[in-house]
Amino acid sequence: MAAPALSSAADPASEAFRVNTQAHTALSAALRDKLAAARLGGGEKARVRHTARGKLLPRDRVDGLLDPGSPFLELAPLAADGMYEGQAPAAGVIAGIGRVAGREVVVVANDATVKGGTYYPMTVKKHLRAQEVALDNRLPCVYLVDSGGAFLPRQDEVFPDRDHFGRIFYNQATMSARGIPQIAAVLGSCTAGGAYVPAMSDEAVIVRNQGTIFLGGPPLVKAATGEVVTAEELGGGEVHSRVSGVTDHLAEDDAHALSIVRDIVATLPARGAPPWTLRPAEEPAVDPAGLYGAVPVDSRTPYDVREVIARLVDGSRFAEFKAEYGTTLVTGFAHLHGHPVGIVANNGILFAESALKGAHFIELCDQRGIPLLFLQNISGFMVGRQYEAGGIAKHGAKMVTAVACARVPKLTVVIGGSYGAGNYSMCGRAYSPRFLWMWPNAKISVMGGEQAASVLATVKRDQLAAAGEKWSEEAEEAFKQPVREQYETQGNAYYATARLWDDGVIDPLETRTVLGLALTACANAPLPTADPAAPGYGVFRM
Amino acid sequence: MTSSTSTTGPAGTAGAALFGTVLVANRGEIAVRIIRTLRELGVRSAAAFTEADAGARHVREADTAVRVGSYLSATDQVRAAAAVGAGAVHPGYGFLAENAGFARACAEAGLVFIGPPAAAIELMGDKIRAKETVEAAGVPVVPGSSGSGLSDSELAEAAREIGLPVLLKPSAGGGGKGMRLVRDPAALPEEIAAARREALGSFGDDTLLVERWIDRPRHIEIQVLADAHGQVVHLGERECSLQRRHQKLIEEAPSVLLDPATRAAMGEAAVQAARSCGYTGAGTVEFIVPGADPSAYFFMEMNTRLQVEHPVTEFVTGLDLVAWQLRVAAGERLDFGQQDVTLTGHAVEARICAETARAADGRVDFLPSAGPVLALHEPAGRPGVRVDSGLLAGTEVGTAYDPMLAKVIAHGPDRATALRRLRAALAETVVLGLDTNTAFLRRLLEHPAVAAGELDTGLIEREAAALVPGGVPDEVYAAAALLRQAALAPAPGPDGWTDPFSAASGWRLGGEPAWTVHHLRVPGHEPVAVRVRQGEVRIGDGPATAAAVSLDGPRAQLHTGGLVHTFVHAGDWLGREGESWWVQPYDPVAAALRGAALGAGGGALTAPMPGTVTVVKVAKGEDVVAGQSLLVVEAMKMEHVITAPHDGTVTEIDVGAGSTVAMDQVLAVVTPAEPPGGAQAAADGRPGEAP
Repeated sequence: MAAPALSSAADPASEAFRVNTQAHTALSAALRDKLAAARLGGGEKARVRHTARGKLLPRDRVDGLLDPGSPFLELAPLAADGMYEGQAPAAGVIAGIGRVAGREVVVVANDATVKGGTYYPMTVKKHLRAQEVALDNRLPCVYLVDSGGAFLPRQDEVFPDRDHFGRIFYNQATMSARGIPQIAAVLGSCTAGGAYVPAMSDEAVIVRNQGTIFLGGPPLVKAATGEVVTAEELGGGEVHSRVSGVTDHLAEDDAHALSIVRDIVATLPARGAPPWTLRPAEEPAVDPAGLYGAVPVDSRTPYDVREVIARLVDGSRFAEFKAEYGTTLVTGFAHLHGHPVGIVANNGILFAESALKGAHFIELCDQRGIPLLFLQNISGFMVGRQYEAGGIAKHGAKMVTAVACARVPKLTVVIGGSYGAGNYSMCGRAYSPRFLWMWPNAKISVMGGEQAASVLATVKRDQLAAAGEKWSEEAEEAFKQPVREQYETQGNAYYATARLWDDGVIDPLETRTVLGLALTACANAPLPTADPAAPGYGVFRM
Repeated sequence: MTSSTSTTGPAGTAGAALFGTVLVANRGEIAVRIIRTLRELGVRSAAAFTEADAGARHVREADTAVRVGSYLSATDQVRAAAAVGAGAVHPGYGFLAENAGFARACAEAGLVFIGPPAAAIELMGDKIRAKETVEAAGVPVVPGSSGSGLSDSELAEAAREIGLPVLLKPSAGGGGKGMRLVRDPAALPEEIAAARREALGSFGDDTLLVERWIDRPRHIEIQVLADAHGQVVHLGERECSLQRRHQKLIEEAPSVLLDPATRAAMGEAAVQAARSCGYTGAGTVEFIVPGADPSAYFFMEMNTRLQVEHPVTEFVTGLDLVAWQLRVAAGERLDFGQQDVTLTGHAVEARICAETARAADGRVDFLPSAGPVLALHEPAGRPGVRVDSGLLAGTEVGTAYDPMLAKVIAHGPDRATALRRLRAALAETVVLGLDTNTAFLRRLLEHPAVAAGELDTGLIEREAAALVPGGVPDEVYAAAALLRQAALAPAPGPDGWTDPFSAASGWRLGGEPAWTVHHLRVPGHEPVAVRVRQGEVRIGDGPATAAAVSLDGPRAQLHTGGLVHTFVHAGDWLGREGESWWVQPYDPVAAALRGAALGAGGGALTAPMPGTVTVVKVAKGEDVVAGQSLLVVEAMKMEHVITAPHDGTVTEIDVGAGSTVAMDQVLAVVTPAEPPGGAQAAADGRPGEAP
């Protein structure tokens, strides 16, 4: 494709460039600090206790499982950030995609240094999200189990509902049914419900004198029947490998167990051919390092989103579609790490034309089997009498329909604001993108804090006026401030990522690598369009 | 190169050309070297080769080649000569070179044997007759008792006559067993009694001999050349005192020990020795010389063939000894006399051998090594440097034949220059794929005693431990790990696309890549975990240091700490300045499992060298005691007895008599009878603690 190459208009010598760079640098440093802290899991004491038992730390387990040098695309590394009194770094579980025995797999590894690896609500959500990634992309699952099961004090938030603990095993069964291999290595406790992780797996490994699987642990057994039994006698590696048959392979230690898992993955049938044509990757012609300077941190400051595209795509080449029409939405074709992508990027507020253009372009990509990349920076659809009368709602609906029904993989990066219906039309979490990330400067909420405060104040003032009461300016300001603060807090990228509204906060400079790995993961699954029975589009309101 | 001189011009080779074709009944460097002279003389060369040597260098370099069942089979060699229409056979050294029967078989088949008459071979091959013969010709021999069955008093009398110190030797003995050194005449009766007891105990025969003991003995030999017309000259001496287990490692000419008068006297003695047996061709008379008194030289034996170390003589005399062997064999006369022989400058030779040095308990064992020649660079072409080599890149060095692979010889106007050139040449030598002694030789040449010319035959044994490095330098591990890391990233597929998950970058979110661990092991050393991540290396528990490796063909340069370390690499091998390391991948999981299976005490018995199992004395399931010999591995002329490391049961025996084994191959497993702490403790054995 001899698409024209984008160039940058950003002036590295400008004050704006310097200010942007400074701000992004600070945001990225903060992100790194948070990631580094989360990587330590349950803290020094717990780590020492863990390794003293001859166990590898969970990240060392992941590293030891992966092929030498394999990248690891971690999912939600800051899950539960700021939640549970800070007791559950990374929500006590590591999840991500890496290479094992030459193929991409999803790894879910409990961190027993975090409350014994028990499942907080966000732990469950993260585990389920990892399984969803495996399902969507047809990636084999490897569970490195070392968990005491549900976190009992919060049993109401982790046990009963549809997307709670039980869903893990439902997913294992249904994925296995679809031919997505489920492999478990029991490297520590596997208690109560947790016992089903290996039991529901296609193949399971257990470490002698270390891994245990039982529905009820020794204390529960003693309480229930008075029987006194050690954990090893009750559900150790010997019992399950020689007697019960709950596990299939007996390992001597963590390293051995990981090597057995690698051998198992090596026996899996080969993955299918990539669903789209790949070409040699090429570095962007515009130096990606300039992203910090070219992109304002405040999403209210306008800039040309092509500055971002130029720094993400192969050779900075971009074949733009409908460049002159609906100019607040930029659409076009490019390659990223050799994968074809159709890019949909906000370049201002959405008008009817931009929405129609977006819907058209999404259909094109779906038809051609080209993955979609949404670069989201949207304050919303245009409002006002003229626009409502022009049918902006139905035009917006067309784009939302197109986004919802598109069958090609969708990837979303929130690079600025993600507000209101703009979030929907630009493939927010509810539209099931295969992956969604946020930049540290990104904000997400139903509307901006200021707007929300104004709307709520207007309603309140009208109520007061109806009651004949007066509302001083000070009182109104005192009313608005907490609203602004609430939106500021809840719209923050870390608040979002802690709750699994995304798959992680990423440094803008890592975006290209993250997208390249993600597209590669996506290429493990065939396109649904390959199936003639696959559903097409819903009714577009004309 | 000194192969053509005023005395060996092409004009003088008419006789040799008459042979038409000469069969080289040998292999390795000497076959290659003989073929070279044959080519220069315009004589067609035919190489004999065995199946194992089909791809060997001497086969490639010869004009024609003919297969034999064994180099040692006289019948095969004679048949081979007939097959190629050879007029003469050059036996080289070793194999059939000193086999009188072969010399006769050649004559019977109408072939000229390029060597002395069979009778001379026979005479000099019998050590006692040789000694008697040369003694009769006035050549000094090591003083000793004559006759056997001497009584205690006769022995003591003989000892006093010979002069102390003396060595008491069991007549039936060998290998140094039962020998006693006596310096004090008063101690003689007691020592004789003790030696008798020991001899009786060891050999069932208490007959003793007594011989003069030579302190700090030096090995000096004289090259002689004789034609069939009664003309015998000597070509000066070679000093071969740097030996290991009676195997020469470094030889030089001339010897620093000799003054012109001694040289002339020894030369004359050698000429007499040659005459005494009716010698023709090139031969060597070996003398033992007390370090403290070079004028007291004693005949040891005569080698009736071309010597390995003949090139040092060729360098200082300017003669081509192989050419002269051919000319003499063709009946030509020596066209020069003793007065025409001049020695110019100094030459030193080092023998590169396929061997592994294993240091343990302050001593060093040199074990034969084997392997493919993955990379080869020989320093031929440097001024004053000659390389006689049988090596060829891509060929396999086995243990079936002599471990000597090549000789590097340097010549200079003086000894210091020759030594310097030789050290530099050895530093440039690269042999990857098997262990060699190249670096050991280089360090040996740097030893102050060697530099000073203070040599003796015990020097290497005394100093070996200090000449074998204890560890593997960190930069070797760093370079090996970085090369492995670079090799992880695959080439793009047919569509030109590379899976970013295969990048081997250890990429992680947040900018800090993961370490990639490379478990490496150099044979003879503990395994080491080397961690690599972008631009950094950590060796074991050491600090992370910035390091990068750049590749330029077979050269790998490691950039670290402001230094550039240059290696040659091939396969899992790295080489530098004559040194080489086989940096193998190591699987700690497999090793731990093996360790755990054996229990805390270990028990896997591995081959100390590549070779052949000759004897298996135990069967699976048999109970054995610590120290009991279980099997014997043989390579070359060395036998290694594998003994039980502890009391226990033979739980595994993987080889039988005749099995060919690789170094470190597990031969048998002895499971300890009662592991300390019982079976549970064995099961608890953590990985990495296996011996």
